[in-house]
Amino acid sequence: MNLLLLLPALLMIGLVFVWPMIRYGWLSFHANSVLTGLNPVPNGGANWIRLLDDQRFWQDALQTTRFAGVSVGLELLLALAIALLLDQRWRGRGVVRALALLPWALPTTMMALGWRWIFNTPYGPLERLNEFVGLGPLNLLSTPMWTWLVTVVADVWKTTPFIALLLLAGLQTIPKDLYSAFRLEGGRPIQALRCITLPLLMPYVLIALLFRGAQAFGVFDLIQVLTGGGPAGSTESVALYAYLNAMRFLDFGYSATAMLAGFLLLTSAMLILAMLLRLSGLMKPVQP
Amino acid sequence: MLFRRGLFAIGLGFLLLVGVVWGRPEQVQSVTILMPAPYADATASLVNRFNADNRGRIHLNVSRGPLETESISDLAISSLLLGSPPFDALLVDVTWLPKYVAAGWLEPLDPWFDTADEQGLVEGARLGNRVNGALYRWPLGADVGLLYWRTDLMADPPRTPDELTAVVGKLQQEGQAPQGFVWQARQYEGLSCDFVEMIQAFGGSWLNPVSGEPSLDSPAARQTATWMKGLISDGISPRAVTNYAESESLQAFKAGDAALMRNWPYAWAELQGDDSAVKGRIGVTTMVALPGQTPAATLGSWGLSMLRDTPHPSATAEAIRYLTSQDAQRERFLNQGYTPTAKALFQDPELVERSAVLPQLEQALDQAVPRPMSPLYAQMSDLLQRMLSAILTEDLDPDEGMAQAQASTLTLFRSAGGTA
Repeated sequence: MNLLLLLPALLMIGLVFVWPMIRYGWLSFHANSVLTGLNPVPNGGANWIRLLDDQRFWQDALQTTRFAGVSVGLELLLALAIALLLDQRWRGRGVVRALALLPWALPTTMMALGWRWIFNTPYGPLERLNEFVGLGPLNLLSTPMWTWLVTVVADVWKTTPFIALLLLAGLQTIPKDLYSAFRLEGGRPIQALRCITLPLLMPYVLIALLFRGAQAFGVFDLIQVLTGGGPAGSTESVALYAYLNAMRFLDFGYSATAMLAGFLLLTSAMLILAMLLRLSGLMKPVQP
Repeated sequence: MLFRRGLFAIGLGFLLLVGVVWGRPEQVQSVTILMPAPYADATASLVNRFNADNRGRIHLNVSRGPLETESISDLAISSLLLGSPPFDALLVDVTWLPKYVAAGWLEPLDPWFDTADEQGLVEGARLGNRVNGALYRWPLGADVGLLYWRTDLMADPPRTPDELTAVVGKLQQEGQAPQGFVWQARQYEGLSCDFVEMIQAFGGSWLNPVSGEPSLDSPAARQTATWMKGLISDGISPRAVTNYAESESLQAFKAGDAALMRNWPYAWAELQGDDSAVKGRIGVTTMVALPGQTPAATLGSWGLSMLRDTPHPSATAEAIRYLTSQDAQRERFLNQGYTPTAKALFQDPELVERSAVLPQLEQALDQAVPRPMSPLYAQMSDLLQRMLSAILTEDLDPDEGMAQAQASTLTLFRSAGGTA
């Protein structure tokens, strides 16, 4: 009976997750490219051997990890501050809450296009401002050193509200009498943050970390529209590389291999992160 | 009652529809061609004339695609992968053709274009249109890599690699043309184009012409990479060249800072502009080569290909023929400066008067060399660009770099199911 009730959910997961994954795994051991007339032909582990030797994939994996790590980290910090602010009672809070969500409600493509224009050299407002101040052109979108930071900025701007919302929901589950009791015992607000708020919020932080980490590692639309992976491949993500292999190179076998390898990397990173967090004991409330 | 009346109306409507479809003597065949926006704009007046001439028979419609080569390729491929694309023909870059053919998307043009048609094309425009012997593309314009030289700085352009370094080195010592020889060494497709010319200069080639296997670790290939690296380390080309694409090279040359430039035909018109410091002091030739080797000019160019699924192949072929006719070429050359493909036009007084460089262009087109005609070209080029860029900008030894490029290319062929 229990199993029967679970069936719809299991079926759904099976169809949209397990089946594609099995299919990816199968495809990754086949050559399926223009050379084979777009038909799958077993090629041993040739795709995986090529992947191990593929500098572009590993560079992309590194870049994607850097992008995900830095942007999710920044987002968490900013979102925590915003959530704490929005949790307080003050006039006009409702309006600000709605406004704060706005970036997240925008389609990524539109917002990426917007950022592309903002950072455009020489016509974007940023370069105009720069010119007004008297500095030379920044060329932010054509300097490999800096372009990845532009993608981080765009991502932070867009998805911080999502984390803030999650954390805000978490804040509202913390019973207010905990704080009253803490104050009665003579605790200061900053101590309350460290001893009550943060530990009790931790499960929500973890959920946000998981959601956003996975999402940021799979980043595609933002990069595709904002930089197209350039300059010199310095912002290319694993998902974009897999897309290029499938859509531009018509090499579906290798595309599946790259995607699956990205998935395996992400899963292991998440597992390691989860283990570290458990070991550090951050999940348990701290006694004041 | 109401039901019956509704039924009657539906029946009447159906009859009318049948009558309309039946009664039409001949339906207008609608042909749609996808092109990057600039090409679509350059053909707009031709399209109007074609439609006026064929009223009631064929309606040609040119879709303006994205400007960037990559975006338009994504658009075309997405619609082809999904099946039943809304296009009858595509404007394709010379490097895409083998891939599209291997994917089974294109229809041979042999029934509509014969050998006489091909004989009418200038040498370089005949290349890159056939795959496995079948004609899949008809060129819209001709395009090859050229070596631009300064007539005020040298009597004749250098013809060998040694002559090149000697003449540029001397000019630099005299304080003229500090940027020396500018080319395209940024990690992008232009670097592969330059490489194709330079490797032939040393008697090698990217793929072995007989076996079709990569030959990037051949002595000639290693010599080429060493020479390219030497150009930069010896200062014959500025270090900045490793971030130059066509436009940066053109800028340096146009400002009078360089003695030699490798670029495409479009640069000629730019260099004759009033804002050019070298106006009227430019000659055009092909890339240098070792004595005894034929200089090469990398083949560029876009051409029209018919899609296999088109319901109107003859109408599409007619449109392709019209858009690539001599009159069309003349018009595109006079209005937009696109290099013609018809041999006859290169001697046409009206056209030569407009651009004195046409005879030299024809010579260069005779030496056109296509990039490897492989369905995997895009990946091969990407691998090579990475290795060359590392050789030119980092401390990677040219021999070692080319050996790696060779190994990676072989791995790629194996994993994609190739035989090489």
